Amino acid sequence: MRPESVTWERAAEVREAAQGWRRVEAIDAPTEQAIREAYPDPCITPSAVWRVLTAGMVTAVFLCTFGALLLAFRTDQLGLQVLMLLFAGASLVATEVLEVSPQSARRGAAGATAFWGILFLLVGFSLFLLDTVRVRYDDAIDAVLIASLLAWAVGSWRWGSPLFAALSAISFFLFLGRFPYGRVLWGLIGAVLAGLAARWLDEASWAPSHRRGAAILVVAGILAAYAVVNTYSFDARVLEDLGRSAAARVAPSPSLFVFAALATAVVPLVVLMWGVRSRRTFVLDTGVVLLALSLVTLRHYVHLAPLWVILTLSGAALVVLALAVERALRRAPGGEIAGITADPLFADERQQRALQIVPVVAAFTAPAAAPEEKGFAGGGGRFGGGGAEEKF
Amino acid sequence: MNPDVVSAIALLRRDNVLGNAQATLFDRVARRRLVSVRFEIRALLYAGVLLLTSGVALLVKEHRQDIGPWAIAGGIALAAAACLVWMIRKAAPFSWGEVPSPNVAFDYVLLLGLLLFASDLAYVEVEFALLGPRWPHHLLVVGVVYLLGAYLWDSRTILGLALTTLAAWRGVSISLIHGSLGAGDAGNLRASAVVLGALYVAAAALSVRLQRKAHFEEVFANAGLLLLLSALVSGVLGSELNWGVWLAALLVAAGLVMWLSFRLGRSLYFAQGVVAVYVGLLRLLFEPFRYHVTGLPFFLAALLGLGVLVLILAAHRRMRER
Repeated sequence: MRPESVTWERAAEVREAAQGWRRVEAIDAPTEQAIREAYPDPCITPSAVWRVLTAGMVTAVFLCTFGALLLAFRTDQLGLQVLMLLFAGASLVATEVLEVSPQSARRGAAGATAFWGILFLLVGFSLFLLDTVRVRYDDAIDAVLIASLLAWAVGSWRWGSPLFAALSAISFFLFLGRFPYGRVLWGLIGAVLAGLAARWLDEASWAPSHRRGAAILVVAGILAAYAVVNTYSFDARVLEDLGRSAAARVAPSPSLFVFAALATAVVPLVVLMWGVRSRRTFVLDTGVVLLALSLVTLRHYVHLAPLWVILTLSGAALVVLALAVERALRRAPGGEIAGITADPLFADERQQRALQIVPVVAAFTAPAAAPEEKGFAGGGGRFGGGGAEEKF
Repeated sequence: MNPDVVSAIALLRRDNVLGNAQATLFDRVARRRLVSVRFEIRALLYAGVLLLTSGVALLVKEHRQDIGPWAIAGGIALAAAACLVWMIRKAAPFSWGEVPSPNVAFDYVLLLGLLLFASDLAYVEVEFALLGPRWPHHLLVVGVVYLLGAYLWDSRTILGLALTTLAAWRGVSISLIHGSLGAGDAGNLRASAVVLGALYVAAAALSVRLQRKAHFEEVFANAGLLLLLSALVSGVLGSELNWGVWLAALLVAAGLVMWLSFRLGRSLYFAQGVVAVYVGLLRLLFEPFRYHVTGLPFFLAALLGLGVLVLILAAHRRMRER
């Protein structure tokens, strides 16, 4: 990242923190103003709505221009590759230009041009390998995955996008999966990546967006390591299917299945403990997701009870657990246990609750009544509104 | 730890911008020595309610013959009643203003209770066919109960459910996933969506004007605009003959939305208007070239996109967002 961009980002972090303090009235308006003056941020930072709208329109302009030129020149395969690479180059130059100016750096346009630039670069490169150089399909996949790993990583480093860091990590693990011992590599490198990236999470010399990228890599490493040991992944040979088509498949031994079953249970607990001990909520959240995946895996292999019993009991257990944790924290001295509290602190809880409307409505709204079902005669209706769309 | 904020707090304390007590608390949070898990607790509660209602639905589906309709209907009603009794005991007194939740579980117990009620009503309707051929009317009952619950216990989430359930009663699906207004005659659906959308937008305006749950405005208005503009866009893209009329209606409605939202400082409404206009105008650009393969409409669409970008930049510069 450019030094100026890093400075702007650091100031934005402090101003955002001050905004949170002001939200809960921990500071007054003059104090917030004093902080804003002490940490000037020349960048215009529109709200998420404006950024998404701008990025969407930039995408429309980009793709329509590409479509127009493609149809105007009616290019052959080589022409298509050249056009894609030209568009990629133009987009990346545009990103650099937009990133330089505080007026345009955070409007959403730079993110869109960077994304499409790198994507077109990779697609153009793929077409070049397959249609022009005519390399073997498997070799082309390997080369494109390496290119993808590098391109997204460089993009993430240059423009500070955590999304690009995630795409780079995905490319990296897909590439590792191509090797004969891909599963072993996923486990080893996943654990190493999570450990190494965790060391940079609080690194003061790194830009805030690079630290966020490191957090993405921690999650990617944990997920990769879990995918290695998950029993279903072993059984269904999920990672082995990523390998080269000619790669030999070796059946895992029964003792490995026992190890996988144990690890499926243990890894989420280890991640949860790490999250609690380090008080990093994103690690804690990852642990919760892994625990849910492990329970689903358990249910897949061991039918402890009918599905409705499992769903109802696990739902009730989650509600009880959440309430118990909340009550314990609230009743603890100072409202905290080991530095963990149920208070919202400086987060914008109103906004969080507003954002929750969309998933709730999407999950629980009854399906629309279809006019042709008017001739209902008992047994043809729908049981809805409770998150279910079961037909009788 | 957020090292940028940690170092800033030290400097702000040194310069007496922050007091000692303030700086100590902020520093603890910035160094992650005090962390909130409120979001995680909320997420667990949401997942719990989702699993519970899914389990109940599956139970009813698989065992309705074994358990018997009265036992099922009675059991679900009892569970719903238990939730609602708890709600009534815990809830703060009614107010036309914004009422904070008494605790973190309140919203989710309310959600669970009302979902169980809705499920019970649907089950009773399916089993006993009380409404006969007019069975979709049970959605009207559910929608109205949701609406009452939303106002009584001040829940924007339940209000959102109420509005989508009432739309479902009219056969309209507010689903971004399926990308259509619902099943059935497109003309009727569009008409229903336009009427409902206009009603919701009017409700948003009245909420603010009369100061009756003014904070519900965003939910009413967003649901209303989504319905209204989706119906108009659907008319433009889906009609064969009179798409021009739909386009004119869309331009007028979306123009009005953009103008009003600009004055009110509502960026989300403005964005919905902009996207609707752009998508609607694409038909105008592509229609003359329907039977020719040419790059010209794409070029025009790109130019239109550039124009819209300029409009977005200008609007953002001048809009005073609220």
